[in-house]
Amino acid sequence: MLVLLDTNAYLRLAKRIKPMLGVKFGHKQYCLTVLRDVEREVHKSRRLRFHYPWFDNPNLTQERVSKGVRMSPEEKKKLSDITEALHEYVQIHAARFIENRRSPPSKTDCRMLAFGQVREAVVVTDDLGMHQLAEEFEISVWHGYELLHKMRAAKMIDSEKIREIYQALEANDDLPQAWEGAQETLLKKVFR
Amino acid sequence: MGQAINSQVIKESLRERGWTQARLAEEVGVTSQAVTHWLRGENFPRPAVILKLVAVLGLRYEKLVVDEEEIEPVIAFRRKGGAKTVEAHIRKAVGIGRLLRPLVPYLKAVPELRTQIASPSTDPVKVQAYATEARKRLGVGQQKPLRYEDLIKEFERSGTILVPVLWGEKKRHENALHIGLPKENVTFVFLNLDTRIEDFGFWMAHELAHIYTPQWAGTDQGEDFADAFAGALLFPRACAETVYAETMQAHDRGKLRVLQSHAKQHDISPYTVFKQVQIYAELEKQSGIPIKEKDIHALRNRDSGELVSRLLFGSGTPGPEEYVKLCEDVFRSDFFKGLKRMIQEHGTGYAYTQQVIDSSVHDARALHEGLIANAGFA
Repeated sequence: MLVLLDTNAYLRLAKRIKPMLGVKFGHKQYCLTVLRDVEREVHKSRRLRFHYPWFDNPNLTQERVSKGVRMSPEEKKKLSDITEALHEYVQIHAARFIENRRSPPSKTDCRMLAFGQVREAVVVTDDLGMHQLAEEFEISVWHGYELLHKMRAAKMIDSEKIREIYQALEANDDLPQAWEGAQETLLKKVFR
Repeated sequence: MGQAINSQVIKESLRERGWTQARLAEEVGVTSQAVTHWLRGENFPRPAVILKLVAVLGLRYEKLVVDEEEIEPVIAFRRKGGAKTVEAHIRKAVGIGRLLRPLVPYLKAVPELRTQIASPSTDPVKVQAYATEARKRLGVGQQKPLRYEDLIKEFERSGTILVPVLWGEKKRHENALHIGLPKENVTFVFLNLDTRIEDFGFWMAHELAHIYTPQWAGTDQGEDFADAFAGALLFPRACAETVYAETMQAHDRGKLRVLQSHAKQHDISPYTVFKQVQIYAELEKQSGIPIKEKDIHALRNRDSGELVSRLLFGSGTPGPEEYVKLCEDVFRSDFFKGLKRMIQEHGTGYAYTQQVIDSSVHDARALHEGLIANAGFA
C-alpha cells in the first residue's frame, strides 16, 4: 500500500531514516513515496532551504527521483480535477478550517490528499487542516508519529531511532503538538 | 435550501458520454436510486462521493454543487502594462476572496452610508464632474496636487479595507487587486507598495472609482471608467488648461519638459498629464499638443520615480512590526487588527495569513508570530 509523505513529514524523517522511500514494510506492505511537489516546495522556500541544507544531498535526491510516483495521463487528469475540487471546497468552507491551530489547506496540500484519493494511498501529514479535510472526504491520513509507530512495529526502525527523531525535532523547535501528546499514548512504550 | 447537486450539469455530462444514470451509479459505486435522489434534489451525496463524481465526470466542484448561499467574490485587477489576465489569475483572486470571508466579522463595521455614483457615465464631461465632487469631499482644491495619502480618508469613509502588500516590482501580473464580497458587503483593496510613486496614486484613484461604482466592478466598462476618473481626479481640467497653454508656447523639446515638470509636482506620470491635456483639447475643440506618445514613454522610462516601499521603509526590508504599524498609521487599515482578533479567538495557523496576503511562508510566519506574541502589536 502506498504511503505518501507531505513535504514537512518528509523533512522530519528523511535525514534519519535511510533508506526510507520504496522500502516495503509491515503486513500491508506499506511503501513510502513523495510527489515532485516536495522538490518544488523546498526549492522555492528560503526558510526550508536554510533549515534543511541536506535536502539536496545527491543520495537523497536520487532516492526521491527513483522512488517517486509515476502516474498515467488518466491518473494525472484525475489528480488535477480532484485537487481543484478539494481546493474549491476549502475556499468555499474556509470558516471550518481556521480553528484550533488549523489553516485552510493550500493547493499543494490538496494535491497530496487528492493523490490519496486517486491511488487509495495513506497521506502522512501533521497539518491539522489537512487532517480535517481528509476526514470530511474519507481520505486516509496519518500523523508522522503514527508512521513511526507502524515502522517500529514492522521492525523497520527501533525505539532508539524514534527517540533520536524526537530529540532532533525538539532541538529545531519543530515538534508538532500532536507528536508531544503521542509520547503519552501511542508511543508510550518508546518513551517510558 | 443549502447545497444540492447541479442536476442540469450532470444530465448534460451523461448525455455527452451516452451514459445512463445506472452507469453513473456503477462508476461511482452507489445505487441507481441514490443518483435519482441527488438529481431530484432530495438528497446530497457524501463529500467522498462528490470527489468520485468529480473524477468520473471531470467536472469542477463549483459546477457540480449548487449552493444558493454562495455569492462569488467580485474581482477587479489593476494590471501591469501589457499583462494579460487569464482564468488562473481570476480563480486565484476569487479563492483569496473566499478565504477572507471568515475574517469579516473581526473587522470594523462597514458604514451604512457610502458615497456611490448611481448612474455612472464615461462621458468626459461627467467624469470631470465626478472628480470635482470627489476633490470637494477630500477638501483638496481643484489645482492642488492630490497625494495618495489624501485618498486614504475616502477609502476609510467607504469602509474599504486597504491591504498594503509587498509583492515585488516585477513578479506579479497585477499591482492592485480589488476583491468585493457582495454578501458581506465588504471590499478589500490590495495595494502593492513595490510600485513607483507616479503610478501608485493613479492606481489608488482607479480603485476609488471602483468603490464609487460597485455596479461596474469587474467589467471592461468599469475599468475604462476607473482609468478616466483617476486621470480627471489627479489632474483636473484647470490643471490641464494651464499645461495646454504652456505646452503650446514652448519649443519642441521644451514641450516634454512642461509635461515632466507638472507630472513631478503632482506625483503622477507624464503620460497621465498628456492624456488629460488631450482630453481638455478635445473638449475645447482645439488641436492636441504635438507630442508623440513614444517620446512620453521614453521619458518615463528614463526618469521613473522611487518605489513607494522604499519611500516608506528606506532601503531595508521592514520587520513585521514596522509593516503592520505602517498599515495602520498611514493606510488606516484595520486588516491586521482584525486578523489578530481572529487568530486570538480561533488559534488560526500561519498558513491562513500566507494565503490571504499571498506572501512567502517565511514572511507569513514572522507576521503571524508577531501578531500572536506581542499584545501591543496591531
